[in-house]
Amino acid sequence: MTVHTPIESRTRGIPRWALGLTGIAFVAGAIFLATNLGGANPPIIGTPVPSGGVPLDAVGIIRAAGCQACHGPDLAGQGDFPNLHGVKDGPVSENLQQLGADYPEDWANLWIAGTDPAVADLGRGGMPPFGTTLSPEEIAAVVEHLKSLP
Amino acid sequence: MAVNPKKLRPYDQPPRVRRPIIPAGPDNAATAFLVAALVWFLLATGIGLLWVGMQLFPDVLRMSLEMPSFSGVITFEFNSGTVGSGFWNSLVYGWLGNAGLGAIFFITPRLLGRRLADEGMASMSAMVWNIGLLAGLTAIYMPQVAASGALMEFPLPVDGVLVLALLLANDSFWRTLLSARDEPAYVSIWYFGVALAAFTGLYGLATLAPLLGLPDAAAALANGFYGRAIETLWVTGVAVGTLYYLVPRATGNPLYSWGLAMLAWILWLGLATLSPIGALVDVSVPFAVTQIGHVSTLLLVVPAFLVVANLLQTITGRWSLILSPGTIPFAVVAVSFLAATALLEAIGALGSVRALIGGTEWGVGVRLFALLGTGSLAFLALADHAFPRLLRRDWRGTLLAEATLWSAFAGTALAGLALMAGGIVHGSMRLQGAPPDEIAGPVFWFQLVAGAGVSLVALAAAIALLSVFLMYTSARRADYAVVGEPAPAAGT
Repeated sequence: MTVHTPIESRTRGIPRWALGLTGIAFVAGAIFLATNLGGANPPIIGTPVPSGGVPLDAVGIIRAAGCQACHGPDLAGQGDFPNLHGVKDGPVSENLQQLGADYPEDWANLWIAGTDPAVADLGRGGMPPFGTTLSPEEIAAVVEHLKSLP
Repeated sequence: MAVNPKKLRPYDQPPRVRRPIIPAGPDNAATAFLVAALVWFLLATGIGLLWVGMQLFPDVLRMSLEMPSFSGVITFEFNSGTVGSGFWNSLVYGWLGNAGLGAIFFITPRLLGRRLADEGMASMSAMVWNIGLLAGLTAIYMPQVAASGALMEFPLPVDGVLVLALLLANDSFWRTLLSARDEPAYVSIWYFGVALAAFTGLYGLATLAPLLGLPDAAAALANGFYGRAIETLWVTGVAVGTLYYLVPRATGNPLYSWGLAMLAWILWLGLATLSPIGALVDVSVPFAVTQIGHVSTLLLVVPAFLVVANLLQTITGRWSLILSPGTIPFAVVAVSFLAATALLEAIGALGSVRALIGGTEWGVGVRLFALLGTGSLAFLALADHAFPRLLRRDWRGTLLAEATLWSAFAGTALAGLALMAGGIVHGSMRLQGAPPDEIAGPVFWFQLVAGAGVSLVALAAAIALLSVFLMYTSARRADYAVVGEPAPAAGT
């Protein structure tokens, strides 16, 4: 004898209340969809402003991502890690000069994300590719904040 | 040539017993997956605790290690980003991945009344899956080799190994299913089939995506879709399939309604597939398409409610089991988290709510409800039911079962609710124009409470693992039925 104990069911049919509930929910969903089709999606990249219309918490992101551990508590650089207060004027590090020339607007986003082929061959010197953990909006918010530093 | 041990002379050695490298006995694969799952559960929650600590005190806990190797210096970065990735990956692939595959390989033979088509292949998938995970989790901390994308940080070779493991698991599952054509499969099998196929397909496509050289925006959108689909199709699918098996088995009652179960399955299949479209938020995607995803997320409340109603009706007449330690209390808590998660996700899909909580801790809190609440509690229920049968032990670990249940429940509820509340506070202050520094203060305390919650879940994982260890080492041996072999007088 082999073990085969199928699970029986009390009833086979679908209860009426379940059909009614499903029908009502789908009609409500269709009405909701039909009345909410107007609008446009925001861009996913390069937008520091989320749907709420208020900038993301760049300082919180910087703190959570651990940027200050390498670049110093005031992001003014320490040891081999560069001063981030100069971001608004372009790359400070020698190895990022070409990237800055090729992508004058987005070089900082590309560098921080570290996921674009444009930065694949650049030595990161221990800097993590934050594109794996931060959204493009969060990176853009961080870049905007860095550019605002004196 | 057979050797009779009684005729051995003193200097003869008894013949060696040859053990296969890949065990192929009944339930070997399920045992391997479930034991590995519990180890990963403890590891994942430990990493989660470290992650919360790093978010609270980034400067104190950050670490960078350099190790010389043949190909130069290897750097290991332990910061909030890499540790966060380690937490989500070990939770989703280590704990929930192993537990889900273990559930499939434990339940499928018992429902179909036959052994797995190729138990050795299934055991090999467990070995390959866990070796791949170990390599992948190590690589996450190495910026030189880690890939990008949430839940897709493993390097390409590791992804290849994991896809191979999933293909081996699929081979065993589908061949077992196709060999049993005598009657319509029970609803759990329907959930397992979709979940396993979806997991394999999604992971395979996500592995191939970087090779296609997609633009940044398309890659980010695909990654968002993947993360959501893994939650709705894989984790929820296997968890619900497991609960559909455990509740009738543990109560001894028949399922309340087959028709209701199939209606819920059809609705889940359609809506869980469409829901991830809501993650495609970009100007390149028509707003109407994204809205279809959001409305599907709203409507997912319906199949969730039908599942809850069906399972609770099944318990009718055996409600006293809720008060006694065992499978049913775990299952009922998992069902409660299923309902709560569906409701919270529906609320979060509303446009006005998205404007408030978008980019805050709310999303992480709801995801914890889905993964640590529904998923973990369902698989802990399975562990309570399955381990005595897999290890053939007479086990009544009532105190440990209670401690696991309450730690997991309280920890998940505390962490999830704290993060959701923190997200609401964050969003409200942001809308009022509060500067980021001012927002960070109150959010810190919510994160601190969430950390306490995660530590309770880690405690639950430790107790669950201890329980299995004590069961194996100290409990009396007991006979349970084995699929495909003569049955003793015990339950399945």
